[in-house]
Amino acid sequence: MIPAHIYNDDELFAREKERLFSRAWMFVGHESEIPQDGDYVVRRVLDDSFIITRDSESTVRALFNMCLHRGMQVCRAEMGNASNFRCPYHGWSYRNDGRLTGLPFHREAYGGDDGFPKDGQTLLPAPNFASYNGLLFINMDPNAEPLEDFLGDFKFYLDFYTKQSAHGVELRGPQRWRIKANWKIGAENFAGDMYHTPHTHASIVDIGLFREPKAQKRKDGATYWAHRGGGTTYKLPPGSFDERMRYVGYPDEMIARIKDVWTPRQQRMVGDDGFMISAATCFPNLSFVHNWPRVRERVHDRDNEVLPFISIRLWQPISANETEVCSWFAVDSAAPAQYKKDSYKAYLMCFGSTGMFEQDDVENWVSLTTTAGGSMARRLLLNSRMGLLSDDRPVIEALPPDSFHGPGRAQVGYNEHNQRELLKLWADQLELPA
Amino acid sequence: MSAPSMRKPLPSLPFHDIRHLQAHQFLVDEAYLLDAQQYELWLDTLTDDIRYVMPVRVTTARGAGFDTSPGMAHFDEDKYSLSQRVARFATEHAWAEDPPSRLRHFITNVRTFATDDDAHLEVESAELLFRSRGDVNESTLVSCGRQDVLRRSGGSWKLAHRKIIADESVLRMQNLAVFL
Repeated sequence: MIPAHIYNDDELFAREKERLFSRAWMFVGHESEIPQDGDYVVRRVLDDSFIITRDSESTVRALFNMCLHRGMQVCRAEMGNASNFRCPYHGWSYRNDGRLTGLPFHREAYGGDDGFPKDGQTLLPAPNFASYNGLLFINMDPNAEPLEDFLGDFKFYLDFYTKQSAHGVELRGPQRWRIKANWKIGAENFAGDMYHTPHTHASIVDIGLFREPKAQKRKDGATYWAHRGGGTTYKLPPGSFDERMRYVGYPDEMIARIKDVWTPRQQRMVGDDGFMISAATCFPNLSFVHNWPRVRERVHDRDNEVLPFISIRLWQPISANETEVCSWFAVDSAAPAQYKKDSYKAYLMCFGSTGMFEQDDVENWVSLTTTAGGSMARRLLLNSRMGLLSDDRPVIEALPPDSFHGPGRAQVGYNEHNQRELLKLWADQLELPA
Repeated sequence: MSAPSMRKPLPSLPFHDIRHLQAHQFLVDEAYLLDAQQYELWLDTLTDDIRYVMPVRVTTARGAGFDTSPGMAHFDEDKYSLSQRVARFATEHAWAEDPPSRLRHFITNVRTFATDDDAHLEVESAELLFRSRGDVNESTLVSCGRQDVLRRSGGSWKLAHRKIIADESVLRMQNLAVFL
């Protein structure tokens, strides 16, 4: 059972900052957002601003966006290309690798290198910075476990979204907007809430945006949890790997490239088991979604076509009751131009600031957060036991490995196993002293 | 140097020009339809080949030469996708707007420009959308500019192209289950 006030509690938010966000791997962007030497984007980890740059030697770095002298932000744009960053206050300047190179009146003001040796001075690097499939993460804890250990078996599922060819994925965006909702709600929803789809998103089915006539088919999919992340899947009609990939709209040339990079085990989850990834969350606040709507009017039978899209989104915490949503569109960089165009269209119709799925989700989450801020919410334990009998046995047994080839634990049907797993990790972090 | 998303200040049509008066009336009548959420009627004021785009605005250095996110928009619509959005509002399950928001589209700074052919006008306007939902959460605003192309259709005009220039890089509205 979940105390309802955790979705709007200032004290808990302070503790999340102190004990969770200070030592979890926090997503800040993707290498494809800074393709050229000198490209940069500015991203935050809670209150800390970092310049994510590709320096003139093509090394990707995360530099704390604060001048060593008086603490001004040295970069006030959110993206661009620069060889240097110059502080607007007193003119200290830094190379795009962070090194301090310019210091006005160095000799007159400091007596030159005698008073202040410039060599070796750099903008503070992020305490810990690493990437997986080009996804860039910062960890504020210099002693954090390595990113790939942190992700663990969830990497198996991350690849479905971010490795569809040897060329890798490219990101566009993000769309950014603020919602008056606690960050955990979106993370939980994407981790495993198949139960909300038939009701919250009934309007999407009503207007025929999907090929499947009934949202009820959601319960035939499996949810899985693997180490630091989990997600939902749809069950596809019978067929081979290629046929099932075609069913959700992948063109043959993309399927061929996918088969070059997905392991046999990853391919068996689709080809043998028939499960296709949908939404997912990587602890604590990074989510993914993959779906396949119709992107044009159905005039002829051949228009009965759907097309997949991928979105990556960050639930950036602002306060106990406010979140900035950063929502990227992601597509394989080797995909055909027309596919990229249609996939982008599919994304915009479904997710993001204008997405028809997202609109209804946020309405619910804002309402939940508002209500969780009152005193009655402190007397209410929310029922989070879906999928469990009273003696804690599962309503539906976990799938055996030969029915679900992915790592971790998976089961079909409606349940809240993943939300509980996510909140378990969350609670473990909050209990661990800083 | 002007911001990249702003159009060059061409001479606009005099305010007493019938084309300006018609364009201005088009925008004010349209604002009524959007406030009243009469979206089926609004769709009729759009050409079948409408393009309706709202780029994502980003903060960039003055010399960068761009101030929108490359390849990304909030809206990037054609008649099919706009019709689907409207059809969704008409279902019984579009919770984002049920109960409906109280909306007010304020349209001002209207300037009309003749084009090379008589069948089209370019119209710029400024828009402020006020949106109030429920009784607890604060109401929200979206401020934007619009660059429109109107096409003559019989005795009236239809909207053939709209570019919405958001004035915020991070929107403060929970969703864009509205039209601008």
